Amino acid sequence: MKCKYNFEYMQMRALFALFGMLFMSPIYAEAMPPNAAAASEVAATPEAPAVALSPFEERLQLCAGCHNPDGNSIIPENPKLAGLDKKYIRRQLEAFKGGDRTNPTMSSIITMVDPKEFEDLADFFSKQKRTVGTSDKADLLGQGRQVFEEGVIGTGAPACMGCHGEDGSGDAKFPRLNGQNAQYVVNQLMNFKSGTRANDAKGLMRAVAKRLNEQEMAAVAEYMSTLKEAE
Amino acid sequence: MKTILSAVIVLLFGLQATVAQAADAYVPKVYGKKGYVWDEMTPERVQVLKQKGDPVNGKEAFRGCQGCHKADAAGVREGVYPRLTGQHASVLIKQITEIRAGIRKNPKMLPFVQDPAISVQEIGDIAEYLSTLTSYRENGKGPEDLSAKGEKLFMTNKCYTCHGKHGEGNAEKSYPAVAAQHYGYLIREMNLIRTGVRGNSNPDMVKAIAKFKQSDMDAVADYLSRLPDYRTLH
Ligand code: HEC
Ligand code: HEC
Ligand code: HEC
Ligand code: HEC
Repeated sequence: MKCKYNFEYMQMRALFALFGMLFMSPIYAEAMPPNAAAASEVAATPEAPAVALSPFEERLQLCAGCHNPDGNSIIPENPKLAGLDKKYIRRQLEAFKGGDRTNPTMSSIITMVDPKEFEDLADFFSKQKRTVGTSDKADLLGQGRQVFEEGVIGTGAPACMGCHGEDGSGDAKFPRLNGQNAQYVVNQLMNFKSGTRANDAKGLMRAVAKRLNEQEMAAVAEYMSTLKEAE
Repeated sequence: MKTILSAVIVLLFGLQATVAQAADAYVPKVYGKKGYVWDEMTPERVQVLKQKGDPVNGKEAFRGCQGCHKADAAGVREGVYPRLTGQHASVLIKQITEIRAGIRKNPKMLPFVQDPAISVQEIGDIAEYLSTLTSYRENGKGPEDLSAKGEKLFMTNKCYTCHGKHGEGNAEKSYPAVAAQHYGYLIREMNLIRTGVRGNSNPDMVKAIAKFKQSDMDAVADYLSRLPDYRTLH
């Protein structure tokens, strides 16, 4: 049941994204009479910016719709981009573009973005400060911390901090996980486990995720969403 | 259409043939099976020993091992994951290449150490890097001090002829250092080597340990776990 709901929800999101693409694409702007375009802009934003947006700023607005202007997405299924390593972000954008990584929403969004823009986008989001969430699910947090620091001895899942860093701050090779949205993390772990996401270098993350059950995934995701970067 | 089809078929057969050939190239010879030679110089091991290990690359490559063996390579006290710091590079290389070749069984570790997770070059790099580490973090010991009984068994059964009087092993002959290793790991390995399940047992060691009761192994493991790291002796 839950699965079906998720699927429909994803489809809705994809439709929404396509709609967004149409609305924000330059073709749409050109097709509209100039004053109509201006009128709709004024209607949408009462305090119209005094200076016209640069193409890069406009592009950022597209991303901001789903990932927030500062890259700290508030939608649980969307990843926080803030503070991810620049090279990691680039690699993911290239993977979506080339089809090595797929997701109904992001795969359609990426068709609008020119690879020439990847560098600046990656640079911008990598420089934003990652926010950290809170949680009151004490039982999950305890188990999650154990998975993060010790792994799962029974199945041989290695500790997350071994690769992603003691405080989960990560780097180009092993991405930042501290503060990341829990639902997004669970989705990725499921994708690695099933092989739907297979762009991890040398299959390392797939090997880890295969050894986690859904309970452990939920727990470690909850814990990492509250994990702060070490001083 | 027909030509495309047959081209595909030819291609598939060709692929299959090359895959089969690659698999033919090296067949692991496991303890207890025909053709087993202890300390076999597998093609990969020969290659690793020929290269010069780079500790800087080794440090980077070792990051993928830290989730189990920990950042200081001292493993976990319960002994699920052994201490690698303080082990001879020659022994590390022997064990890693034999695990990759399927001679020593280690399914938990395999996906993180097999090709492509680690390259042939990186095996030597990691061994070189590990020999620069100096962690003496406390290892797991037995629940009660049985070192007097353990020492006696270790000496009278000639274990020391290979593993050294201080448990320091022998780098040249690839005999592992066993001093200051985790108690739980030592017990497990004695059992795995004795029963042959480990896959790369030394036949002379199997003979030496054949008559041990479980309580004897517990005592030897406790004794070895209480010995100081041999590197602190010189
Ligand atoms: C309509 C919503 C939407 C928009 C607009 C959008 N994204 Fe995404 N993005 C997503 C979703 C959903 C995911 C998660 C994909 C998955 O689950 O695999 C994602 C994933 C990503 C990732 C992978 C992050 C990681 O941690 O691996 C990057 C990088 C990214 N987006 C960058 C961008 C950039 C840059 C833009 C603007 C050009 C953008 N996104 C616009 C929804 C969106
Ligand atoms: C052996 C090293 C290793 C270990 C241990 C490891 N990971 Fe990863 N992880 C990776 C790699 C490699 C990637 C993929 C990077 C890429 O796509 O380029 C990754 C990616 C991820 C991602 C996707 C991040 C994103 O922004 O999309 C999540 C989530 C994740 N890991 C969670 C975990 C959890 C939870 C654990 C502990 C149970 C863990 N990892 C342990 C290597 C590791
Ligand atoms: C998933 C956990 C895990 C990971 C990741 C892992 N190992 Fe291991 N390793 C083990 C276990 C478990 C053993 C002991 C197996 C046994 O009991 O026989 C072991 C044993 C070893 C040994 C043999 C030690 C001895 O004294 O004989 C070496 C050497 C080794 N590992 C090196 C590595 C290296 C190098 C890496 C990274 C490339 C690595 N391991 C990654 C779990 C792991
Ligand atoms: C002929 C030499 C020899 C003798 C004698 C010998 N061993 Fe060993 N031992 C080895 C070798 C070699 C290994 C590693 C197995 C391999 O080659 O992969 C080993 C491994 C071990 C290990 C596991 C160490 C590790 O890091 O995995 C323990 C514990 C051990 N021996 C205990 C003993 C005890 C106790 C005795 C006496 C009853 C003994 N050995 C006698 C050669 C010997």
